[in-house]
Amino acid sequence: MTTQLAASATDAGARRPAGEGATRAPSAGRPPARRRRENWRIRGELAILLGPALVVFVSFVILPVALAAYYGFYKWSGFGTPTDFVGIRNYVTILTDPAFHEALGHNAFIVIGSLVLQGPLALGLALLLNRKMRAQSLIRVLIFVPYVISEVVVGLGWGLMLQSGGALNGALEKIGLGALRADWISDPALAIWTLLIIITWKYIGFAVILFLAGLQGIPEELSEAAAIDGASYWQIQRHIVLPLMGPTIRIWAFLSIIGSLQLFDLVWIIWGQYVASTAGTSTMATYMVANGRNAGSFGYGSAVAVVMFLISLAVALVYQRFVLRRDTDGALTGGSK
Amino acid sequence: MNTRKILAGAALAVAGTLALGGCAGGGGGQNADGSTTLTLWHNSTTGDGKKYWEDTAAAFEEANPGVTVEIQAVQNEEMDGKLQTALNSGDAPDLFMARGGGKLADIVEAGQAMDLTDKISADAKTALGTSLDAFAVDGKNYGMPVAVLPSGIFTSQDLLTAAGVTEAPATISDLEEANEKIRATGVAPIAVGAKDAWPAAHWYYNFALRACSKDVLDTAAESRSFDDPCWLEAGENLQSFLQTQPFNEGFLTTAAQQGAGSSAGLLANHQAAMELMGAWNPGVIASLTPDEQPLADLGWFPFPEVPGGDGEPGAIMGGVDGYSCWVNAPAQCTDFLNFLVNKENQERYADAFQTIPASSEATEAVTTPALQSALQAYTDAPYVSVWLDTLYGQNVGNALNVAVVDLFAGKGTPQGIVDAVNAAASR
Repeated sequence: MTTQLAASATDAGARRPAGEGATRAPSAGRPPARRRRENWRIRGELAILLGPALVVFVSFVILPVALAAYYGFYKWSGFGTPTDFVGIRNYVTILTDPAFHEALGHNAFIVIGSLVLQGPLALGLALLLNRKMRAQSLIRVLIFVPYVISEVVVGLGWGLMLQSGGALNGALEKIGLGALRADWISDPALAIWTLLIIITWKYIGFAVILFLAGLQGIPEELSEAAAIDGASYWQIQRHIVLPLMGPTIRIWAFLSIIGSLQLFDLVWIIWGQYVASTAGTSTMATYMVANGRNAGSFGYGSAVAVVMFLISLAVALVYQRFVLRRDTDGALTGGSK
Repeated sequence: MNTRKILAGAALAVAGTLALGGCAGGGGGQNADGSTTLTLWHNSTTGDGKKYWEDTAAAFEEANPGVTVEIQAVQNEEMDGKLQTALNSGDAPDLFMARGGGKLADIVEAGQAMDLTDKISADAKTALGTSLDAFAVDGKNYGMPVAVLPSGIFTSQDLLTAAGVTEAPATISDLEEANEKIRATGVAPIAVGAKDAWPAAHWYYNFALRACSKDVLDTAAESRSFDDPCWLEAGENLQSFLQTQPFNEGFLTTAAQQGAGSSAGLLANHQAAMELMGAWNPGVIASLTPDEQPLADLGWFPFPEVPGGDGEPGAIMGGVDGYSCWVNAPAQCTDFLNFLVNKENQERYADAFQTIPASSEATEAVTTPALQSALQAYTDAPYVSVWLDTLYGQNVGNALNVAVVDLFAGKGTPQGIVDAVNAAASR
């Protein structure tokens, strides 16, 4: 996720109109010696402050991406230097592989499903929790807890509960709803819905916290003024709070989309290394690990990584261009004035 | 100004990368003070097996002053991927678990395994006999076998008796009849841990062993493609067997060896009557019974015959577990391997893992009835084929296993297995 965010942030910077960079440069005439020393000081500071981050970024983000792109053109089992150059054959295989199409479809389903399920639900919860009420902090904590629990714990827990002989089916039986018993995680018709519900349970806390933060940022006075003018609670939410929440919602949706595109850990824990594609919950990332690392085809896996990167990057850029522009314009280009 | 800044940044980045690169390396090998460290990766994360390696390492250290053996237990399902990453990074364990076949051949081809042909002691060669063949690549030997692991059906004799199954099923239709009787008693006839893919795939391997001749199996090991019609026949036979629904409920999310809900756990707790598994199974089952003792009523019979195939009756699918030395391992690595297969250590191995030792000197340590039957069938078999996923290498093996799981789930077809194998070769 970092890769995409960083890459798209760079891009957002590059999109800045040329003229604006010029206006930001010191506008006075050529500086005298004192100024020049000042300049060196600034450069020194920049080197010290930016250097470490740059080193980390280059060695752990740029370099791996470049290497993956390089390996992607080889049939390579991971030993020694790749020698078997196959051109774009890996990419052709990926793009024509039905298993990859399925994985992509599951990703799309999860992207949309997460937005549709989590968005309204989280907004409702945030509005509710923003009102003065008893046990407010307790409920906030309870909703946030799943987000803090490690994915492995969540995956193992849900995996055990939802097995055909697991707690959920047992409970259904006990309360006389035995007819509703199902193979929640191994029935290909159900599994992806099960996954979506687990994801919603797990990540809704994050959305709620973001939305709550957004709500706190809306001045009380606006609602008070509207109330004095005779607006009802719902009118205030609809016409004042919701529009002002726009930037928060758009950023949350962005994070959610990127997270869904790169979903890996929950699927891997619950369905293991092999059966995700069979159960219909494979994602691009599980496809990558299954056919790359597990199959010992590191060249092919790298090519899948590149395809994933490009898809995520494209989605991120389109989203930034058409949805986030209003929000980021101010933040990224107006900051130095 | 910009150019200089970029240059400075680039220099910093390079320096950083070098510094980070410097952190890698290490592992085993000759130490500064002349002592030697051997790193060892095995797959026994619990119980007696784990203890076996600790004890053996301690005994070896005592017999060889100046040598330290560093043990790392790697969970079995993680082993292949982790080992490959380690070998690729140039910081591999000196000794690692190997199972021969295409997987070992890939490692040999990459120049990462030590040639042991002249380093295995004469005594060991005599005692190990044909089990050494599993680690031969192009006439040279790259591994030391520690256990032979014929595949067969492990049973709970109590459950079979309760269901009125008195004779071991000799043919696949006998097995289907037995399943019916067992299901009537309310337990699952057969447990399979399809979540780990290979336990499900073992069913296909055995159907292929019955359908395909030895020549076809061997040819495919070279070509790594499934051209012969017997591969399809094996899939069709498996499919018609699957239609009788012989397996435990929810087998797709059942693991093979972890916990009471795993397929081995189901057998250990009398929730299922049978499980197709390699000869390491008694040890796994013992760790999963309620009192963590070996299952008292454990039985074994070979995979039933399937009429109409080209495979010779009595042929056995199976594996050989062994250990290989990394190409850059210190010389003491081979000493350790020879130490590993002496009579005493092999007997301790058989005892700790509840399995069949590779050394013929140590077979007296096999005392349980189930393993004695397995050993007998193994000795009598006209030939033994290595697990197909091991035989055909990691890439093809992985695709094969997943395709079999698809068939189990009713999502794939017999033709799909053949296609998946042939497609995998292109990756």
